[in-house]
Amino acid sequence: MAGKAHRLSTEEREQLLPNLQAVGWKEVEGRDAIFKEFHFKDFNRAFGFMTRVALQAEKLDHHPEWFNVYNKVHITLSTHDCGGLSERDINLASFIEQVAASLS
Amino acid sequence: MVSKLTHLQVELLEALLESGLTKETLIKALSEAEPYGLQSESQRAINALQSEKGEPCPDIPNLPNGMGEPRVSEDETSDDGEEFTPPIMKELENLSPEEAAHQKAVVERLLQEDPWRVAKMVKSYLQQHNIPQREVVDTTGLNQSHLSQHLNKGTPMKTQKRAALYTWYVRKQREVAQQFTHAGQGILTDEPMGDDLPTKKGRRNRFKWGPASQQILFQAYERQKNPSKEEREALVEECNRAECIQRGVSPSQAQGLGSNLVTEVRVYNWFANRRKEEAFRHKLAMDTFSGPQPTSAPPLTPHSSSSLQPPPALSPSKVHGVRYNQQPASEAESSSSNHHGNSSMVTTQTILQQVSPPGLEPSQNLLSTDTKLVSAPGGTLPPVSTLTALHSLEQSPHTLSQQTQNLIMASLPGVMAIGAGETPSLAPAFTNTGASTLVIGLASTQPQSVPVINSMGSSLTTLQPVQFSQQLHPSYQQPLMQQVQSHINQSPFMATMAQIQNPHALYGPKSEVTQYTHAGLLPQTMVITDTANLSALTNLTPTKQAFTPDSETHTESGMHTPVSQAPTIHLQNQDTTIQHLQPGPRLTSSPAVSSSSLVLYQSSDSTNSHSQLLSSTHNVIETFISTQMASSTQ
Repeated sequence: MAGKAHRLSTEEREQLLPNLQAVGWKEVEGRDAIFKEFHFKDFNRAFGFMTRVALQAEKLDHHPEWFNVYNKVHITLSTHDCGGLSERDINLASFIEQVAASLS
Repeated sequence: MVSKLTHLQVELLEALLESGLTKETLIKALSEAEPYGLQSESQRAINALQSEKGEPCPDIPNLPNGMGEPRVSEDETSDDGEEFTPPIMKELENLSPEEAAHQKAVVERLLQEDPWRVAKMVKSYLQQHNIPQREVVDTTGLNQSHLSQHLNKGTPMKTQKRAALYTWYVRKQREVAQQFTHAGQGILTDEPMGDDLPTKKGRRNRFKWGPASQQILFQAYERQKNPSKEEREALVEECNRAECIQRGVSPSQAQGLGSNLVTEVRVYNWFANRRKEEAFRHKLAMDTFSGPQPTSAPPLTPHSSSSLQPPPALSPSKVHGVRYNQQPASEAESSSSNHHGNSSMVTTQTILQQVSPPGLEPSQNLLSTDTKLVSAPGGTLPPVSTLTALHSLEQSPHTLSQQTQNLIMASLPGVMAIGAGETPSLAPAFTNTGASTLVIGLASTQPQSVPVINSMGSSLTTLQPVQFSQQLHPSYQQPLMQQVQSHINQSPFMATMAQIQNPHALYGPKSEVTQYTHAGLLPQTMVITDTANLSALTNLTPTKQAFTPDSETHTESGMHTPVSQAPTIHLQNQDTTIQHLQPGPRLTSSPAVSSSSLVLYQSSDSTNSHSQLLSSTHNVIETFISTQMASSTQ
């Protein structure tokens, strides 16, 4: 298991989250998680995106909660081990942004 | 760059590549995956990974060299690429451990079942998908003879080897299923079907005609011998559809047939071969008709151990030949000639087919012309593998009675000489299978001792000489003549059908198989190793002969006449028995004759003939029609 599973402190959140929030990540109500919806041109792109994310998730050993319908992908990131946001979520979110940018 | 890939596949490919998977690694992984399908490849890759970690490789069963070595080598190469493969391997790993475990569980379960039952399953799967045994042997490292015996006869096989076989079976099933599901899409890897190790000379399995396709082709051949390209293409579609249906797959997935996919070229070749075959048969018939040959043909094939007297086999073959002349359209023939062991064509399969009535008459004339059939000239055989051999004709008897007898007798063995491994395309009902060996011993009609010889293929047994008294002929002749003349189709056909055992009746549990192979009569007169063919034959009987019901009655009446004579004959000829069997869906058992007796079975009453065959243990050939009829009267 990769490190960095500790819950983000308030300072860390203030430091890291705004970047993500700027691109559309929202905090989820009722839990310590971040959420974003992605839209793609069609299912192929959406699933290609998901595949890339999946491969990376495997590599990082940190997996998203997600939902997919045709060209839409809803992703929720949270760390189960610490019961909230951790650095892993930030990393994965960054990667997701990268991929999404390359695909759109 | 996107050749046949769907957009999604392209996306996924790009995803893979972007995830750190290099092109070379991907290609290497794919090429390694080809032989065994991606699933097994993933297993091996995982095993490679595991071995690197020092863990055992539980997923690889202990397979003999054939399977073990390639895996070992592939493991090594996988190891080399491990640095670059983890992403894909990990992905595959998610699938394969479950799959591998599942496969192992299935294999375990099969191992605990009755080996014969499983062997039957495997064999029928091989038949259904037209998989050559060679493929199994190559991938499992089993001995082919051993494998064949195990599957066909139930020869015991050690657990470890059976494990290898079942593992292949399970993997192959998945491979084939994958093939068929990918058929419509085009797949990245080569079709593993028909390829066990593509590296082995890069060879795919040899194309083989399935029985369903052959049926279609024969019907088309009867309609027209020389189809145009459009017709051929139509046949291609039809055949592929039939093959898919036979395999229980949707016809739209025809590509999954792999090496056994029917193409126009194959259809074209098939028609060309059939035309050649027919021309050759015609030629043979002409030869036998025209040229009296003084020499008695010595037995040509090594199989005929006993000396084959000249006369016996000729007339039947001649008859057949003539018949064939008459019936250019009718394809398969009983290769009585094969029986005589003359032919180098022994290996050819004979197809039992209906002989038209007109054919019989001329044949009789032929018989009376005292011409001697030419023994199979070795060099004149056409290259067509399925040529039914008329060539091993020998001198015809001089007397009509003899001829008749020969006719009858000949027709008996004439039914089937099937070289091991191939069955002639008996169009209608023949279920083509691999090693079909239907051997029918031919009782010669000579008054002298005439050996009845099965000169067919692997399961040939030599019949002991048959003693026929002269008396036999006339009495025998008359009813036969009656039958022959009145039921032209019937008698030759029935004769040819003689000694055919219904495979269905036999092909059941191991005991049955064993039983009929041990039948005393059978080795003498008929050895049927391919029950599927038999069933086809038996099916053939009713389908091919519309007159069957009539013939039955006729035959019966005809049969009854000689009844009185039969006993005499019977008494006189105690030592030889020829059995005429006309198998139907089931063979009727004529319990009366314990030994193989010449019996005309009218219809397919189930068990009689079957048991009769089985029970007969003597090499007794007698003309026993009446008795048979009486007992088997249905």
